Amino acid sequence: MVELDYDIVIVGGGGAGLYAALWAAENTILKVAVMTKVYPTRSHTGAAEGGINAVLTHSVGDSPEAHAYDTVKGSDFLADQDAVDIMCKMGAAVIYDIAHRGVPFSRRPDGRIAQRPFGGASFPRTCYAADKTGFYILQTLYEQCLKNNVTFLNEWFLLSIIHNGERVEGITAWDIRNGGVHLIKTKAVILATGGHARVYWNRTSNALGNTGDGTAAALRAGLPLKDMEFIQFHPTGLAKTGILVTEGARGEGGYLRNKDGERFMKRYAPEKMELAPRDIVARAIQTEIDEGRGCGPNGDYICLDLTHLGEEKINERLPQTREHAILYEGVDPVKEPIPIAPTAHYSMGGIDADKLGRTPIKGLYAAGECACISVHGANRLGGNSLLDVLVYGRLTALEAVKYADEAPETNPSVAKAKDDEKRILELMEADGKEKVADLRKELGNVMMKHFGVFREEKSMREGLEKVMEIKERAKHVKVYDTSKKFNTDLITALEFLNLVDLAPAIAVPAIERKESRGAHARKDYPKRDDKNFLKHSVVKLKEDGTYELSWKPVTITKFLPEERKY
Amino acid sequence: METAILQVFRYDPEKDQAPYYKEYEVPVEGTLLNALLYIKDNLDPTLAFRAFCRSEVCGSCSMKVNGKTKLACKTPMKELVETWKGKPLRIEPLNHMKVIKDLVVDIDKPIEKMKTLIPWLVPDPRVVPTDPMHESIIYPEEMEAYKDQIHCMLCFSCYSACEAVADNERYRGPFAFSKAYRFQVDRRDIETAKEKRIRYAISGGLWSCVQCQKCIHVCPKGVRPAEDIQNLRGQAVKKGFTDKPGAKKLKHFVDWIYATGQINRLYLPEEVYGNKEAREKLTKAYTEMGVEVWEVPKPTKGLMKFRDIYLEILSKEDKALDLDYSHVRKIDKMVSDIFKADICTIVDKAHEEGRSSRGLISKLKGLLGGQ
Repeated sequence: MVELDYDIVIVGGGGAGLYAALWAAENTILKVAVMTKVYPTRSHTGAAEGGINAVLTHSVGDSPEAHAYDTVKGSDFLADQDAVDIMCKMGAAVIYDIAHRGVPFSRRPDGRIAQRPFGGASFPRTCYAADKTGFYILQTLYEQCLKNNVTFLNEWFLLSIIHNGERVEGITAWDIRNGGVHLIKTKAVILATGGHARVYWNRTSNALGNTGDGTAAALRAGLPLKDMEFIQFHPTGLAKTGILVTEGARGEGGYLRNKDGERFMKRYAPEKMELAPRDIVARAIQTEIDEGRGCGPNGDYICLDLTHLGEEKINERLPQTREHAILYEGVDPVKEPIPIAPTAHYSMGGIDADKLGRTPIKGLYAAGECACISVHGANRLGGNSLLDVLVYGRLTALEAVKYADEAPETNPSVAKAKDDEKRILELMEADGKEKVADLRKELGNVMMKHFGVFREEKSMREGLEKVMEIKERAKHVKVYDTSKKFNTDLITALEFLNLVDLAPAIAVPAIERKESRGAHARKDYPKRDDKNFLKHSVVKLKEDGTYELSWKPVTITKFLPEERKY
Repeated sequence: METAILQVFRYDPEKDQAPYYKEYEVPVEGTLLNALLYIKDNLDPTLAFRAFCRSEVCGSCSMKVNGKTKLACKTPMKELVETWKGKPLRIEPLNHMKVIKDLVVDIDKPIEKMKTLIPWLVPDPRVVPTDPMHESIIYPEEMEAYKDQIHCMLCFSCYSACEAVADNERYRGPFAFSKAYRFQVDRRDIETAKEKRIRYAISGGLWSCVQCQKCIHVCPKGVRPAEDIQNLRGQAVKKGFTDKPGAKKLKHFVDWIYATGQINRLYLPEEVYGNKEAREKLTKAYTEMGVEVWEVPKPTKGLMKFRDIYLEILSKEDKALDLDYSHVRKIDKMVSDIFKADICTIVDKAHEEGRSSRGLISKLKGLLGGQ
């Protein structure tokens, strides 16, 4: 068993991980490594299209307070306002920092960073780089990490987090390329492993690997997960594949039409229309489909109409959208509307972390989509995830540096690594009565059916039973590939097992939150209930395999809950 | 359901003595990536390939289909079946990189190579404010210069297709030069870094590119590395890095075409490679074979006008300084000596005669010793 020794290990090489690595590298001489299951530039930050919200110095009339208010209102008042305040105030600083490092933001004619309107925002404050904002940010951060000689463990898979109940001591990981479990000793760990919307396997905008690996490892290590019932369904996923069509398409003036050609958003959000927040637009689309006003032969999608924008504007502002529509849907948006339907997109919930990204275990931090700080509450605004990723990548890096500088040496036991080795061996020797691909599909269907855009008690209880049944059956899945090198069969199985561990953590609080708030829309409790549910749900995995639910208060500083109208 | 046969390259260095191909029947539906995922989910979970975003932004799933480099998630199965008219589709890993397993190759080497070309912004403090709350102004027009290069997603398709990588181990690869060039044309990047990048590019094989343009054809993102390489070469010459054969070749081409309207096959070996015997040997051989040969072409009617146009073209590309006037004057002198008149007189005479003088004059002064 090889042992590696670092001061700070960052797990995940997306926006949060790379920005953390960069800020750590520039601010310490400690040994820092980024461990990622894919090469950094493959990470899903690269798929973020529309942009990143920030109030810049030239945003006349806008203010970080207004941004914070929009974010809190968008979150349906579930976000912690102290954290939202920090994030919104740091907006300009992170934008200028990454622009100075080379991110090619689209510019106004006067040379300043251009901003466009986005859903739920009271001001056009979404900075963008065409419709590939996340891609350019990811590439630029990677370049900067190369410049700073950051140590990368590329294609390593996180297995377990080791701590002594008080401090983090290390992690175990599988070296995908060479095979083998490794014990990695470290004083601090930043989890930046991304979201888990792949729980909805068959209808999601996420990459194949967005399987909540860090969140699941944290859950298994006894850490609390927060607000897991909140999954954002992006209103505009391509009908056939769930692949994302950016909110920028509506930001640039796209219309949503039902089968009668009606711009139905006027019935749901008369003022903001298509640019209402994502949860509202997703529900409107789902309602149109459910009530028989969907388009196409099966009435199972809605039309996103960009034709009136003209070829030039589409090519300039939404080139990737056009390419994807042609390639994956067979539709040229210059000529025809794009068939779309809601798609599981973003995990608002995640590892419980405070306003500086600290978890209850010292030295263990969480940043980006795997974390629940919470800056997004019950519903994230478009353009706030890239901001979250950068702000918390940077903050957790600085926290981790401060901590690791003074923390005592750790002495992780090899027991966990031995356990993990055994677990992997068992997977290879299992009876194979169940197949990963089948169970994964089943899990995806159950989650979409019972914990989708709309939810209700009876259906969710059925759903949870099915999920637990799948979790039981998952004990029989087998890894057929017994080779050590690049065993993707093993990785696929481990990823699936992570999804299976996370699914009940979504289901349990979803059932108990008897209200509708943000992305959690209950038909049986259609109203928000601040008296009983203006609080975060917290789920922990007990040793006996049950999921324990508790609640914790929301931090409210300035903005008192009010009705959410757009 | 319509199906197709994929012959997939399989190789596990731990178990297999040699690579082999395994056939799978897959639905003709969606993309090649869908077909591979179908195999993994339904037919053979041991098949190894990389894939992540499935929407052509992450660059993971580049591979070869019947020898052509493709991004699996960007390649519709229907299109493949139509292109290859029902023939089996042979799926193989990219070239020039070690196979780790099946379709997975080792991409560390090209990344290390890229790193040597400083593929990151080195901000010039006179342009990029050091105050983190101060915005640096960039006009939309100036971003035009690198609008294509920034699309590179490190899929290594061009690296796999590249002739120069095949020939030269040190050669950094098309994408690496594009990544470097992106910063060469960024006003915010400091001059000293630009200078260094050129030096590193030269030692990284800048002049080895044979301009076969394959990199341009295979790039799934519309990056044009071969053009970026040409532009880097131009920058190298402008910065005075003229001691490499490639730079000398460029100089020969630019100067001779400006001076005479064509390159000079007799002088090229000497001017580019310093080979002093080649001119004589070639002349002798051409003459023996009865091939018409000239030391310098006779200046044609309109030559001065052609020169103006040529200079205008170079200026437009900001390449006017590529012209070495002292060299042009030497060529002029050679012409004057051979035709026993100064260049303007000869051109004027050509005008009077009204000949376009496309005919080549075989006048070999001193070379053949009066033969």
